[in-house]
Amino acid sequence: MSVAYGRISPLATARVLVRLAWARTFSVALVLGVSGLLLLPVLFALAFASRGSLSGDPVAFLVQRYDTLVCALATPLIALLLGTSAFSAETEDGTLLYLVTTTTPRWWIACVRVMYASIATGLLSAFAVWSTGAIAANGSNPENVTTAFTVAVSFGGVTYAALFTALALLTRRALVAGLVYVLFWEGALSSTFPALRYLSVRQWTLSVASALTESSEKTLQNGPSLAASLVGATVLVVLSIYIGGRRLQRPRIMR
Amino acid sequence: MSDRTVPLAFDRVSHWYDDVVAVNDVTCSIDVGISGLLGPNGAGKSTMLQMAAGLLPPSSGTVRVYGESPLERPSIFRKVALVPEREALPTMLSARAFVEARAVLLGLRDPKQAALRALANVEMDTVADRKVGEFSKGMRQRTKLAAALVHEPTLLLLDEPFNGLDPRQRMHMMRLLEARASDGTAVLLSSHILEEIEGVASRILVMLSGRLAASGDHRTLRRMMTDRPHTVRVRSTNDRALASALLSSPTVMGVDLEANALIVRAIDYTGFAHHIGVVAQQASITLLEVQPTDESLEHVFAYLVAR
Repeated sequence: MSVAYGRISPLATARVLVRLAWARTFSVALVLGVSGLLLLPVLFALAFASRGSLSGDPVAFLVQRYDTLVCALATPLIALLLGTSAFSAETEDGTLLYLVTTTTPRWWIACVRVMYASIATGLLSAFAVWSTGAIAANGSNPENVTTAFTVAVSFGGVTYAALFTALALLTRRALVAGLVYVLFWEGALSSTFPALRYLSVRQWTLSVASALTESSEKTLQNGPSLAASLVGATVLVVLSIYIGGRRLQRPRIMR
Repeated sequence: MSDRTVPLAFDRVSHWYDDVVAVNDVTCSIDVGISGLLGPNGAGKSTMLQMAAGLLPPSSGTVRVYGESPLERPSIFRKVALVPEREALPTMLSARAFVEARAVLLGLRDPKQAALRALANVEMDTVADRKVGEFSKGMRQRTKLAAALVHEPTLLLLDEPFNGLDPRQRMHMMRLLEARASDGTAVLLSSHILEEIEGVASRILVMLSGRLAASGDHRTLRRMMTDRPHTVRVRSTNDRALASALLSSPTVMGVDLEANALIVRAIDYTGFAHHIGVVAQQASITLLEVQPTDESLEHVFAYLVAR
């Protein structure tokens, strides 16, 4: 036997894992879905800008659109699509076996997939925030609201992506479970019951935005404290990687 | 052979999915050379291979790979490779990219070279840059094998490896596995077709309904299968007279009279086949149908289990 082993390279394995994830994620349907989600706030901004001086307060407009169209819709749904697609498809067709019959540590496989979905979601969400802000506020950054939400949705993107990546390893119906979470838990329950805001990624995202902007819009005043949000998100990300890694030790192999 | 050098050992291993028993109290070990795991679909072969690779925990009993439990121990994949039955591969990647990806994830020092060597081994080097999605079933099977051989494992687990291969490819795969075995690799391959396994495996383990029904070389198994009682359905112009004539034959163990046929339990099938013609002729009976009823693999396996 002549094969020589080296050290597992984090960078090389990450590149391979991202490449495999991309091969499973990319599809015309995904591109159309993500584009639609990103265009929605931009279209609202174009409509707002076209009304000129009659359009009202840009800060109020931006905070409301960032909350309802980006934090509550685009970011979680993009994270859901990117976080679940690779592991779900690999579990379904059995190709997950080619990842878990290697010497690469399982937690690293989970971690790279979380990073892949996080970075893509964060960048896409930040782009939606930035372009919406640029159009609606005519290139300015009133009360620092665009910068605040750019950072906040990047933070939210990481948290959502971690949650949904782990979900893809836990259940065969990750997409449905994720949709129920986004629409029911985030959309209805956590907005209605104040106590549940401590367990809502959307509210954590708004807390980060609130801490970085000078705006005093009511939407930004209802969430948990910044410290609680940071702790909650950190626990969720670490737990998701841990659970993902554990799950990859004994994966569900479809027959 | 000491425990640490036995490539794979099952000790009273069972595995069940909820209330379905997939593997039932199996004890066996796999040494260097080619061993075949033979059994009908649903016999528990894939479950055995997944337990061997540490992907499934046994519900009871122990699995040892080179003396250690393979569970939650990725380092065993320096020595072990599993080729799954399913042919799905990342279709957007080329064969080279796929095999190289495996080499990187296995921590090989020179993944490019290792991938090239593995693809050449399975005669896929000339199409290495084509996308896997464009491949035939046989080409995918060989790409899977290249991905498994890329780190030259010493325990190779293959689930139905001959599926989709044409005779030439099958022959090539057999030669390849034989070469690996002669280099000191323990190969365990599963199949539901005896002819596939007996040409290549020096030892065959027969599984049925999760149990290890029999084991031995192919000659031993062939003998067991040939020597068993056979059930034959016979229709004639006078079933009742034929039944009483057959009962005196030394090749017949018993006869059941049914509505339109006889069910004959023959001890020696070849002898019975010769004898029934003579008996019928002597009694002036015309034979309308002589049909073995239990030639399916399941029946053969069922007999081995019931012994």
